[in-house]
Amino acid sequence: MIADDDEKWLAAATSAVKQNAFYMQRAIDSNNLKDALKFSAQMLGELRTSKLSPHKYYELYIRASDELRSSEMFFRDETARGCSISELYELVQHAGNILPRLYLLCTIGSVYIKSKDVTAKDILKDLVEMCRAVQHPLRGLFLRSYLAQVTRDKLPSIGSELDGDAETRMDALEFVLQNFTEMNKLWVRMQHQGPAREKEKREKERNELRDLVGKNLHILGQLEGVDLVVYRDTVLPRILEQVVNCKDELAQCYLMDCIIQVFPDDFHLQTLDVLLGACPQLQPSVDIKTVLSGLMERLSNYAASSVEALPNFLQVDAFSKLNDAIGKVVEAQVDLSASASVTLYLFLLKFTLHVHSDRLDYVDQVLGSCVSQLSATGKLCDDKASKQIVAFLSAPLEKYNDVVTILKLTNYPRVMEYLDHDTNKAMAIIIIQSILKNDTRIATADEVDALFELIKGLIKDFDGLTDNDEVDEEDFQEEQNSVARLVHFLYNDDPEEMSKIIFRVRKHILTGGPKRLPLTIPPLVFSALKLIRRLRGGDENPFGDDTSTPQKILQLLTETVEVLSDVSASELALRLYLQCAQAANDCELETVAYEFFTKAYLLYEEEISDSKAQVTALRLIIGTLQRMRVFNVENRDILTQKATGYSAKLLKKPDQCRAVYECAHLYWVEEGENLKDGERVVLCLKRAQKIADAVQKMTNASRGASSTGSVSLYVELLNKYLYFLEKGNPQVTGETIQGLAELIKIEKGESGAGSFITSTLRYMEFQRQQEDGGMNEKYQKIKMEWFE
Amino acid sequence: MSSRRRVLLKVIILGDSGVGKTSLMNQFVNRKFSNQYKATIGADFLTKEVQIDDRIFTLQIWDTAGQERFQSLGVAFYRGADCCVLVNDVNVMKSFENLNNWREEFLIQASPSDPENFPFVLLGNKTDVDGGKSRVVSEKKAKAWCASKGNIPYFETSAKEGFNVDAAFECITKNAFKNEPEEEPYMPDTIDVARGQQQRSTGCEC
Repeated sequence: MIADDDEKWLAAATSAVKQNAFYMQRAIDSNNLKDALKFSAQMLGELRTSKLSPHKYYELYIRASDELRSSEMFFRDETARGCSISELYELVQHAGNILPRLYLLCTIGSVYIKSKDVTAKDILKDLVEMCRAVQHPLRGLFLRSYLAQVTRDKLPSIGSELDGDAETRMDALEFVLQNFTEMNKLWVRMQHQGPAREKEKREKERNELRDLVGKNLHILGQLEGVDLVVYRDTVLPRILEQVVNCKDELAQCYLMDCIIQVFPDDFHLQTLDVLLGACPQLQPSVDIKTVLSGLMERLSNYAASSVEALPNFLQVDAFSKLNDAIGKVVEAQVDLSASASVTLYLFLLKFTLHVHSDRLDYVDQVLGSCVSQLSATGKLCDDKASKQIVAFLSAPLEKYNDVVTILKLTNYPRVMEYLDHDTNKAMAIIIIQSILKNDTRIATADEVDALFELIKGLIKDFDGLTDNDEVDEEDFQEEQNSVARLVHFLYNDDPEEMSKIIFRVRKHILTGGPKRLPLTIPPLVFSALKLIRRLRGGDENPFGDDTSTPQKILQLLTETVEVLSDVSASELALRLYLQCAQAANDCELETVAYEFFTKAYLLYEEEISDSKAQVTALRLIIGTLQRMRVFNVENRDILTQKATGYSAKLLKKPDQCRAVYECAHLYWVEEGENLKDGERVVLCLKRAQKIADAVQKMTNASRGASSTGSVSLYVELLNKYLYFLEKGNPQVTGETIQGLAELIKIEKGESGAGSFITSTLRYMEFQRQQEDGGMNEKYQKIKMEWFE
Repeated sequence: MSSRRRVLLKVIILGDSGVGKTSLMNQFVNRKFSNQYKATIGADFLTKEVQIDDRIFTLQIWDTAGQERFQSLGVAFYRGADCCVLVNDVNVMKSFENLNNWREEFLIQASPSDPENFPFVLLGNKTDVDGGKSRVVSEKKAKAWCASKGNIPYFETSAKEGFNVDAAFECITKNAFKNEPEEEPYMPDTIDVARGQQQRSTGCEC
């Protein structure tokens, strides 16, 4: 049937319907019963067509049945006027063809139900049987739909006029069930009509018609008196009987879905056995998982929205029944794809999380069942299944928002085994993100072990995979950053447990390999340093356990940071050594601190050759050393000398200059009186100035007179002098400063004063004006006329 | 002649699954309510007579499936509707947001001759839930939407409590009646009764 023709035929049929309806209406208006019947029969004759697709036929049907409303009202009026049913029936017999005749009989019959003239039961029985005369599926389905429609509000539905006794209700029930059965038979028969090559077309048409059959179930659901008992004893068994016996895949799938959707949740709970018992009886090709998924989803929503219904779930032991049913399905369908079985378990898991969220054993059981099923298929390669597994594993994460709970599920890591490497890592990240988002604390060493088992894909290379070239750099960075952030969530207030955690984390991280260590060791170190600071107060250890003394931890850190130099992360190692040195300083552990400095210096000398890196490293060394209080004079001297030495040997002169004047700070420590060596300070500054002079010379030689390059060095030096002036270094005299200032003035020459100079001058003037703090005294030493 | 003709008005109820379409209809026609959710399949109607002033209307109320998969035959029944009732659940934002889709779909499928002026009525249902505490669609918001769609009448209803249901359907009836008839009344150009018979060619006797 070509679409255009379809339209044409529909148009023609519609036109005929309209025409006959017009005359019918006119006959009604003039109370002409005979003509009214004649024209309505003619109108209904259009429904005898075989030319229309279901959709188009439906349009025609709607139009015709709309018109029949008027007839119905007319017949009602006629009966009020005394016309009996048999009279009307008699007249209808004159309609030539069966289909129109039956439509009219249904219309008339329904009017008589309302009139209470004849027993409803008899009429209904007659009608539903008479319709058997039409065995053509399409026409038969619509005819019976019409029958259902026109009797609808005459049945004892909820509150209808005819709400009678139990018997009346059962009669109505029987009527609907029978109509349903006949409709289903017609519908199934369609499958076998016509040539084999048109099978697809037939299925498409059957699909379009399915709601005509399904509607009967809806009507059953709306009938008054269909309570749980009636449903369980009559309605459900009869429906299922038809569903199972028709042996038609399309019908079974659709009707099971309808049953689940149309009847209330607590009916399903109470008849779970029966419903589930039907599943294995269905055709093997029926997609049971969709059916079961629909059921579980519905019940999950029920549990989620009605807390008061939860006891019912327990009472009927819903979980075991569903679990068993799924087990049977999975067993029976040997070629069930991995993705399909995981989907089933996913729905069961969601159900369990909604209904029995407190029963971790149930949750674990579901995970275990899934594992058993997967073990039959081996490691999964297809994306679809992997996606489902991720959804499966994410469900409890989302429900509990607490990875610590997840760690209690023994089967959880076993499920993860079935993911391919990439997906495994993705899942690990999801787990970490859950921890970060929910601020979950992983508080014991054992939990750490369990967690790292789950995320091991991120921690170390998978077995058999040595070549890391395949790994995307960005992804890798992101992964390791996640792990790094995670380390800070592994925490316990109890220092002893915290110490255990640190040891345990270290153990795991060290399996990571050269690419990972530079990213994962730093957070571990800082976490350990945090612990040390908490323990500060020294060697006195109230816990009696060796491992939790700062010393032991620092020892551990030494060994850990060492690893970094083995993997060419020397700059990082140096930084970390200095951090550790500070911690040792805070714990008054002089030898340990010295040891860290030694290691740092060795790295500087042996491993750090890039000049930029040297500058940075040296800065850090000087800054750290400056803050050290724990060294005795000798140790301090050695380290300071070394530092100054390194400074003078930097490659670029400006760098040298700056490093050297920074060293001045090493000779001036605020907190200790004997740590303020004014002379050595000035020596440094003067030495720095010499280097600056050399720089100036080189610049003047190469660029000519008016370059401002090295003036900035002088200005920096000036600022340093001012700093020490303010700190009260007696060796810093007004003359020194003036001298330097003159030099600046000369050297800057014709070019304007840079902003650095200007603000320095402004600062100096400002300080001179200060009334208190003694600043102006110091600044009076400087004759300001030298500046303008 | 025409005084005998009762006025039959066709009204379609549309809206997301679970908002209460079937319940509203049942409450109005049968004065009954059930708390349990039962999906609707396909579309069919109940009728009820409504008296306004001294006129009697027969209201044919079509209840539809909110779940799309239960509308396999399409929406041919939209044809000839005199009024469309849109329903949303005031506790579910999505059901409110989808109203635009329902309205537009209806106008496309039903193709009324004057879409701008086709009568709609909006019902914000389930006002009873949780004492109103779980409500997310405010009256203000709903009324603003109604105003933007040509001043659609709005009713807050509770099918469960029967609140405002009758008032809503009275308004629906009035609006349906006001609507111009959809098609020109059929006038035959020739009085040829036999013509209709030619179209038929069937393989079987029924």
